[in-house]
Amino acid sequence: MLDITPVSKNTTNTANKRIMYQAFIDILPLAMAVIPWGILCGSLAIKVGLSAVQAQLMSLLVFAGSAQLASLTLIGAVGALSSIFSSTFVISSRHLLYSAVFREHVRESSMLTRCCMAFFLTDEMFAVSCAYLEKNKSFSHLYAISAGVVFYLIWNVATFIGIVAGQFIPNIENLGLEFAIAATFIAIVIPSIKRFSTLMSVLASGISVCVLSITGIDHALIIATCIGMATGFLTASKDKSNG
Amino acid sequence: MDNFGLMLLGMSCITFACRFLFFCKKRPFELGEKTKLALSYTAPSVLTAMWVPIVFLSYQHIEQSFFESPFLIAGLLSIILSLKLKSTLLIVVISIMVFITLQLLY
Repeated sequence: MLDITPVSKNTTNTANKRIMYQAFIDILPLAMAVIPWGILCGSLAIKVGLSAVQAQLMSLLVFAGSAQLASLTLIGAVGALSSIFSSTFVISSRHLLYSAVFREHVRESSMLTRCCMAFFLTDEMFAVSCAYLEKNKSFSHLYAISAGVVFYLIWNVATFIGIVAGQFIPNIENLGLEFAIAATFIAIVIPSIKRFSTLMSVLASGISVCVLSITGIDHALIIATCIGMATGFLTASKDKSNG
Repeated sequence: MDNFGLMLLGMSCITFACRFLFFCKKRPFELGEKTKLALSYTAPSVLTAMWVPIVFLSYQHIEQSFFESPFLIAGLLSIILSLKLKSTLLIVVISIMVFITLQLLY
């Protein structure tokens, strides 16, 4: 018994290290792609009048890129707080689905594990954890949280760079950093269109956001998202007939 | 911003609540099949509502014609690449490099 214990402990340690390393490797490309976005978030926060500490706190505590960017464009507007909260909710509501999907793997875990899983849950972490689950046929909290932590650190470093750069480089928001966001989202959305209804929801959302923005209607993002969701939902019955 | 503390607290709570809700020991409520179906379109819809204006409407801010905008050309390229390539990183890297080149050219 005494001989076996250290050996098995070592094996577990090695296995754990391998899982953490794998998580790091898998999340890295997605985390790299988020760097320009983090820089934009940091510099934009400074531009709309937040202090450096406030800008960093947002990335440290909220940790939701799209919700942060959307809220930054709303700061200073009339009735900002309620619009910020409602847009945050609409944008974050997709995480409800992620947390429902992970529920069966997480509900028996300790409070701390569940809190960590929730805090570090992002689109990217969800994507790599699902791929890991499919490949290994078992869910790993260590893998999911490791991937989430790596992503969190890179996101916050990128925000910090943006805060510093935003103070020294004028018009940093005109460099076209937002193109990196567009390219990342295109690379996520386009391959995910596998059903007719998803295609319809993407088209509806894209067309309506353009029309709403050009006509200058407020909350274009939220309204377009809801139109996209409704269109997908209503055309879902067509999926089967189209194969 | 005057209410920054309140805004930060509110946003943190909303994002955390959305992520934690179904990790509660007791399920707060059941997501019906229809709700799950509707939510499955949230991610593509919200992401599209964010990238489409960048690709198609940015020309307004940079004083360039619609068809000559680097955002449009590089954006369309990344759509084509997304249909052909499997690697997300490769798609993003190639598109950004083309975008930077176009910006330097104009």
